[in-house]
Amino acid sequence: MSSVIQVENLSKSYGDTKAVQGISFTVQKGEIFGIIGPNGAGKTTTIEMLEGVRKPDSGKIDVLGLEPSRQLRKLNERIGVQFQATSIQKKMKVKEALDLFESFYPRNAQKSNVIEQLSLTEKLNENFEKLSGGWKQRVTLALATLHQPEIVFLDEPSMGLDPHARRELWSMIHLLKDQGCTIVVTTHYMEEAEKLCDRVAMIYGGQLKALDTPGQLLNAMAVNNLSFQSEQLEYDTLLSLPGVLRVEQDHDTFKVFSETLQKTAYHIFNYCEDKEIALRDFKFEKGSLDDLFVHYLEKEETA
Amino acid sequence: MTTLVKLANLETKMFFRDRLSVFWTFLFPVLMIWLFGSMFSGNDMGGRTFAELYVPSWIGVNIVTTSFFTLGTVLTNYRETGVLRRYQSTPLNAWKILMAHTVQGTVIFAISAVLLMVFGMLMYDLTLPEYIGSTLLALLISIICFFPFALFLTSLAKNTQAAAAISSLFLNVMLFLSGATFPLEMMPDVLQYVSKILPLYYTIELLRGTWTQGPIWDYGLEVGVLLGIAVVSTFLASRYFRWSSD
Repeated sequence: MSSVIQVENLSKSYGDTKAVQGISFTVQKGEIFGIIGPNGAGKTTTIEMLEGVRKPDSGKIDVLGLEPSRQLRKLNERIGVQFQATSIQKKMKVKEALDLFESFYPRNAQKSNVIEQLSLTEKLNENFEKLSGGWKQRVTLALATLHQPEIVFLDEPSMGLDPHARRELWSMIHLLKDQGCTIVVTTHYMEEAEKLCDRVAMIYGGQLKALDTPGQLLNAMAVNNLSFQSEQLEYDTLLSLPGVLRVEQDHDTFKVFSETLQKTAYHIFNYCEDKEIALRDFKFEKGSLDDLFVHYLEKEETA
Repeated sequence: MTTLVKLANLETKMFFRDRLSVFWTFLFPVLMIWLFGSMFSGNDMGGRTFAELYVPSWIGVNIVTTSFFTLGTVLTNYRETGVLRRYQSTPLNAWKILMAHTVQGTVIFAISAVLLMVFGMLMYDLTLPEYIGSTLLALLISIICFFPFALFLTSLAKNTQAAAAISSLFLNVMLFLSGATFPLEMMPDVLQYVSKILPLYYTIELLRGTWTQGPIWDYGLEVGVLLGIAVVSTFLASRYFRWSSD
């Protein structure tokens, strides 16, 4: 696989605020690359620099062999963009918008394909302002993809969507990937990053904190845990067992984080058998990226 | 080319979908003429009739409202709501956007001017301009002066409200100090001088003049001032064009 985006040591400040500080990564052709982080982490600034609409203060960006902020018009022929907060004209009809954007790309626009894939037929005569959030997203996604771009940039595409619309959006994004498109997507929904992305860059405070597949991130970060309930067990006892890193207690519910869950489980069972302590609802729990996130923020605060 | 035509066409269509702007652009000036007509019609106004003075000057005012409200404020709104930023990520050039809006503004202004003229002819015995070629040329010069002028000034505004405020300020100052509403002779000397720094004054002089007095080459000063503003503001509007408000 070849890379389509290379970012080296990218930085951008607004006045005294360092929005992005020294971020580097590459995006491979054909993958869904997620940029995740809480609000204000620098996700939008980063993606907008890749799109070329924001100029970096320092660092190098290469997108499809072009330098985005200098070769914007050329780049725009080959990428598709869905901004977070942009809209099209309120009183523009869906079909008018598609028609207009089709004329921007005389060589490779595929209007009828996009209408069919995103099932836009029934909404073609509606004014943009009359559409629900989910339909608006569909229309702007259509405008971002009707020229069969090599890379599609989506900034918080599922913001404000209900769970059903969000799932539909995911399947549309997967469809794009199947057609060979590379997708760069920002989100602060961890579930979305887990379900959607092949690789995830985790940004916090303008810095890249982690970069891997969602699965690897979760494995590496010790957010998988053992969870169970017991009235008699003590917090300190659990923490003293071999290999245990961290214990969370909420009344009689415990979460034990350790290096190897199986070994720790063995120790817990052993201990409880000896002392005749009852355990209930014992589970191997898979952590979510949300846990990972909280884990990071806590580390940040204690540091 | 097709993009430019499509965009101008769409923007014109969308203008007509907004009832409020249709009222302010087309009916309000007619109402004003009717109002002034009920006050001044039949008075002797230095050898010219009421309609010969007021219809050309309100056609001039309409150039101002079109450039500030139909063009300037709308584009600022597009900048604020991200419409322009969306265009920025397409192969579309900035000059095509400005050009499309200029075409749209010209079409809308032309309709409003014809409405005013026909109203004046029906109600107040107005005749067609005597030097009609000169009048059309005067209109063209005024358009290429005012459109970029307004586009530049409103692009300084952070948001739509600020753009509307700038537009209202300029419109009101020019309305009252350019002789469109009250004859300049009624005003103190100081204000008469102030009026001469306002571009609308020159547009109105040109339009009134070519309507009844003489051809456009009698008005070299007015043409020169307007063309000067046109050159400077076209430069500023394209040099400082911004895709987004931040």
